[in-house]
Amino acid sequence: MSDAKKSEPAAEPSSGVPADTVVPSSTSGRGMQLRLAAPTAPGAGSKPAQPGGGGTKSLRKPVPKWLALLLGVACILTVFGLWWLLTLGVSEERILPYNTIPSPKETFDPEQIRSLWFDSALTRNLIASLRRVVLGFALASAIGIPLGILAGCFPWCNAFLAPINVFGRNIPIAALIPLTFALFGLGELQKVMFIFIAAVAFVMMDTATAIADVSSRYIDTAFTLGASRRQTIMKVLVPLAMPRVFNSLRLLFGLAFGYIMLAELVTESGSAGGLGFIINTAQRRGVREPILLILMVIPAVALAIDRTLYMMQKSLFPYQYASSGLLHNAWRGLAHAGEDLKRVFFSSQPLDPAQQAALASAKAASTARPSNVS
Amino acid sequence: MTAEPVAAASPVTVAKDVGMGQVLDHVRQPEEIRAPHVVEFRDVSKTYNYGQANQFTAIRGVNFVVADLPDKGEFVCILGPSGCGKSTILKMIAGLEPQHPPTTGDVLVLGKPVTGPGADRGMVFQDYTSFDNRTVLDNIAFGLECRGVARHDRHALARYWIEQAGLNVATDQYKYPHELSGGMRQRVAIARTLILRPRIILMDEPFGALDPQTRMNMQDLLVGLWREVQATVFFVTHSIEEAVFLGDRVYIMSTGPGRIEKELEIEPADRPALEMARVPRFQETVYYIRELIAELEEQGAGSTAREA
Repeated sequence: MSDAKKSEPAAEPSSGVPADTVVPSSTSGRGMQLRLAAPTAPGAGSKPAQPGGGGTKSLRKPVPKWLALLLGVACILTVFGLWWLLTLGVSEERILPYNTIPSPKETFDPEQIRSLWFDSALTRNLIASLRRVVLGFALASAIGIPLGILAGCFPWCNAFLAPINVFGRNIPIAALIPLTFALFGLGELQKVMFIFIAAVAFVMMDTATAIADVSSRYIDTAFTLGASRRQTIMKVLVPLAMPRVFNSLRLLFGLAFGYIMLAELVTESGSAGGLGFIINTAQRRGVREPILLILMVIPAVALAIDRTLYMMQKSLFPYQYASSGLLHNAWRGLAHAGEDLKRVFFSSQPLDPAQQAALASAKAASTARPSNVS
Repeated sequence: MTAEPVAAASPVTVAKDVGMGQVLDHVRQPEEIRAPHVVEFRDVSKTYNYGQANQFTAIRGVNFVVADLPDKGEFVCILGPSGCGKSTILKMIAGLEPQHPPTTGDVLVLGKPVTGPGADRGMVFQDYTSFDNRTVLDNIAFGLECRGVARHDRHALARYWIEQAGLNVATDQYKYPHELSGGMRQRVAIARTLILRPRIILMDEPFGALDPQTRMNMQDLLVGLWREVQATVFFVTHSIEEAVFLGDRVYIMSTGPGRIEKELEIEPADRPALEMARVPRFQETVYYIRELIAELEEQGAGSTAREA
């Protein structure tokens, strides 16, 4: 019995899964397969293998959602367990003393949470941080996306912007902080501009790549359907590149949310606010608990933002992701309204006589046999 | 067969009957046709990457002419092995870069040199080129939208063309391309081109990626639609059966570098593709062309061997 059980996973690659998908290099793989399968051939023949069952040779096999969640929770528990072990006992007997890291019990003390929430005004500072990221990132998108579209459509424009991209993508972002102090002072503007500078080159570059990667056969198609160059950019290239652009914006926003902490940590005036400011104050006062709590708040907030943006992304591009496409339809409605508004000022082009004739004959045919319609 | 059929051009065209087709003794030259020309190629060559290490001549010395038949376009098929420059000829007529402009010679459409792409020369590609972000309705109405036709009008006409292309308005008009099969996508592509009533329709192996049954259905659909729009069609294909079934005129090309070797005139097919394939006269033409192409490939292989 135990023998048969043991043989199952070994036999599976030869019986259940097609060999060519599992074994990348044919000669060495086949030899191994034979060796594994030979002693257990009768068992494998009588018992059909489960499709995609956990064989020894499966790679990158997706796990069910509940298992993924469970594994995630297990990881969190492991980290907390280690934390708890390292800070076990009275202060002097701990592996890591209180001054380095307080224990979980001390950190999650209701008094600590209350103090963080009310005395340090967590919500207000969180909103202050978010506001800066959103403003800076919106500015980066407003400038980076159009420039990226130009760079993607016109190689000469890309060549012109290339040095800015090289600079923006390779400069260590912290090295910009002194410069932003000098340029934009100590207030809100400095923090917003810091995010802008940090993000704009990436937004531009990703947009340009997304545009350039739209297959040129779409351009050819649009041209042979009579689209002008401007129409091809606005009606074909940009809409087809948008799913990728939005996806990279979402990832970059997560990055920018990390950068704002940096800008708030290195601050010269005391009243700036923001999550980084709370960490900085706690650091100076020598208390560790708020720092740890905020370190847990940040990923939670970042995850919430990321999921929200992802939902938006799915809703905006229903043809790319399975969704109801609520935002996509809203956008289409806006586009139609814009077109109707344009018609108030500019008259539309009538159909050709031949096209009108075709339409009239179609109408006549459909009214002649109304039962057949729809 | 002469090695240079172009050089053997004479003003009189002698035809040899082969099944449904008539083989002309030479490819007709622009000077021979009195009627106005829809498309003419005058000694057209195209060399890519000229002067570089990867210089490549796709076509050399291509001459042909397609006459403008009043109220009725001609269905011209271009047949040949892969890499013989069939698509290059098509894209030159369309005016698409980098095939346009020709390295030497003139490409004339309705007597004027091609300067760039336009809606008067619609094109259907082998790859699916439906705009993923647009519904079937908006895909088909794209050309009219670019022309500035009001939404109500263009959608009404697009619905008419959805029906014409054999799709169902009620169920398909708001679908996105990813919800369609390959055959349905090509129906959308054809409707999207025909709605603009182009003077010339260029089709670059439009059914190449479809299974045989769908392919035959699409051929039947195309014959029906073409009669309605009265355009001149240039249809590039690998399939000899397809060319003989669809074409009024078939050009046969050879490789290295590509040029037109033979011109055939074919009787129009009088029944659906599946039945047509069983007719002996149809098969006779197909076999003749198959042997001709085999012969040309042999010659081509011989000439390249001699060059090397």
